[in-house]
Amino acid sequence: METLRSALDFSDFPRIDLIVAGGIAASIVIFPLIPHSAFAMATMIQFFIFSLYGMGWNTIGGYGGQVDLGKAQYVGIGAYTTTVMLIRWDVPFWISMPIGMCFAVIWSFIIGYPLFKLKGHYFAIATIATALVLQDIFEVWNFVGAARGLEISPVKYPSPDFLRLIFKEDVYYYYVILGFFFLGILYINWFRKSRLGYQLRSIRDNEDLARSLGINVHWAKIKTYAIATAFVSMAGSFHACYIKSIEPEDTMSLDLSILIALMAMLGGAGSLWGPIIGAAVLIPLKSYLAEWLGARVGLVGIDLIIYALIIMVISAFEPRGIWGILEKVRRRKGR
Amino acid sequence: MDILISSIAAGLLIGMVLAFMSMGLTIIFGVMEIVNFAHGEFLMIGMYTGLLTAQATGIDPLLTLPVAALVGFLLGIICYYGFIKFLMRGPMVAQLLGTFGLMLFLRNLALLFFGPDDRAIHHGILVGKSFNLGMGVIVPATKVAAAGLSVVTFLAVWLLMNRSKIGKALTATSLNAQGARYMGIPTEWMNALAWGIGGASATIAGALLVNFWSVNPFVGILFTMIAFAIVALGGFGSVPGTFLAGLVVGLITEVPGFWDFFTYTFNWNWMADVPMTSLKYMWVYLTYFIIMMVRPRGLFGWKR
Repeated sequence: METLRSALDFSDFPRIDLIVAGGIAASIVIFPLIPHSAFAMATMIQFFIFSLYGMGWNTIGGYGGQVDLGKAQYVGIGAYTTTVMLIRWDVPFWISMPIGMCFAVIWSFIIGYPLFKLKGHYFAIATIATALVLQDIFEVWNFVGAARGLEISPVKYPSPDFLRLIFKEDVYYYYVILGFFFLGILYINWFRKSRLGYQLRSIRDNEDLARSLGINVHWAKIKTYAIATAFVSMAGSFHACYIKSIEPEDTMSLDLSILIALMAMLGGAGSLWGPIIGAAVLIPLKSYLAEWLGARVGLVGIDLIIYALIIMVISAFEPRGIWGILEKVRRRKGR
Repeated sequence: MDILISSIAAGLLIGMVLAFMSMGLTIIFGVMEIVNFAHGEFLMIGMYTGLLTAQATGIDPLLTLPVAALVGFLLGIICYYGFIKFLMRGPMVAQLLGTFGLMLFLRNLALLFFGPDDRAIHHGILVGKSFNLGMGVIVPATKVAAAGLSVVTFLAVWLLMNRSKIGKALTATSLNAQGARYMGIPTEWMNALAWGIGGASATIAGALLVNFWSVNPFVGILFTMIAFAIVALGGFGSVPGTFLAGLVVGLITEVPGFWDFFTYTFNWNWMADVPMTSLKYMWVYLTYFIIMMVRPRGLFGWKR
């Protein structure tokens, strides 16, 4: 009960923020009712998926200050568990998703225990290394389709299939992921005010001091890593049902890991709204740039160049991201 | 037996080139404590420089090294003054993601200009020639030349770092930047120089590699990871350690060869079923992971 009240309590934000957030929430709830293109719909769903990835990254990367650049391996674990179980044993999404989360969390414990003995750069590179190892294994593992990947054929299941999450119309996907999205926000809102959340922030600010206060630094990091993992794996399972075709090249690639970290960074790591803002900026930008410049004009890679430039400018001049800029402006006005 | 020997030979030869490539990363890290994720992209640019210069002028690819060195040096200095300088003021997270941004930028710029296709060199004095070491062991001449030139340039840079005044200034900057500034060393310029030398070593290695390695815009990350593994093994900041570690990692990239050797020698069928060639680089990543767990300082590291 206490937990629920804490999760629903947003009162430490300024009222203007809450009004804006409420307005945006209302408009995304009614978005499918207003006329829109299929492309806009797909972009919105991508935005929700990536917001969830970003929220997961934000727990360990933002609040904890441990830069993890291997999140795609958990996307892969979630996506593969769901797909393999659906194709081979016809297991519905609502069962395979928690199982995928369990696998991902177990894997995160296995690699997290040694990983968190490292700090800073060493940790970041080691997360990349583990993600690449897992990607290489999946690329030769015949049980999961090796490098060809797996495909869910939608014709086998009558749409709408709410158990297996196979739909013809995107609007169903939209509302399912919207539910996850709101739950995710509530969870993170609880998390940031929980004991673990405060412990993590003290670890980020000064690890030695945190240790001297009696915080079990290593264990706190591992626990948070598991939370982040569960988030990412859950969204990964949904992603598999939505995309219906997964392969190690894009479900587990390093680019995806980087994208997740950058989104949270761009929006503002270590804040509740940061990853959402980051996803809201980057995902439409990326897909529309790819559509306009990549597909129409034929300039391959120009979307990623612009996107890389944004990253470079943000990291060089405002490392706290868009949320950091907003807060700076607000503080100046308040003075 | 011949598989074993040729694997070892190939591993050592490629290891020399890889060691030289990683030296740039270790110099940059030693001087500024920043990890350059774009290192492999510098190497990729070096590969394209070598390839395009050779194709445009018709000279032998091995003679394009000065061009590649110049391009890499300028690129490093431009990156430092245009971007890294600003990045250094921020927190570590920003530095990590910033060099990642640089990596994405360079990679996609290459994609825009050169397209996604593989390109390889088909002409040159040494292309297609090989040395026969006896016992059925054959090494391509391009690899021998690349390895030899790597060792020579490696020694040159090492002498520059240890014997010259500039090298001493660089070492001073890496030991204590503030103290070096009090002694009148222009640390800002030293940082830029470290980036210049680092970039040049990557592009030279690229121009050497392109003789026997086809290039596309996506090769960078593989070499970045290999360089990280080498630098971690040798110790971040240690130049001689890098060389030894390069040889070790070079041998690790030849694991499929050793695997074949054991498969044939002991006639174990299950070994033949493992798709070892596809898992070639997994061992390099695993090496990095294990080194970091067991000995984070590396073999010769003096900095943590």
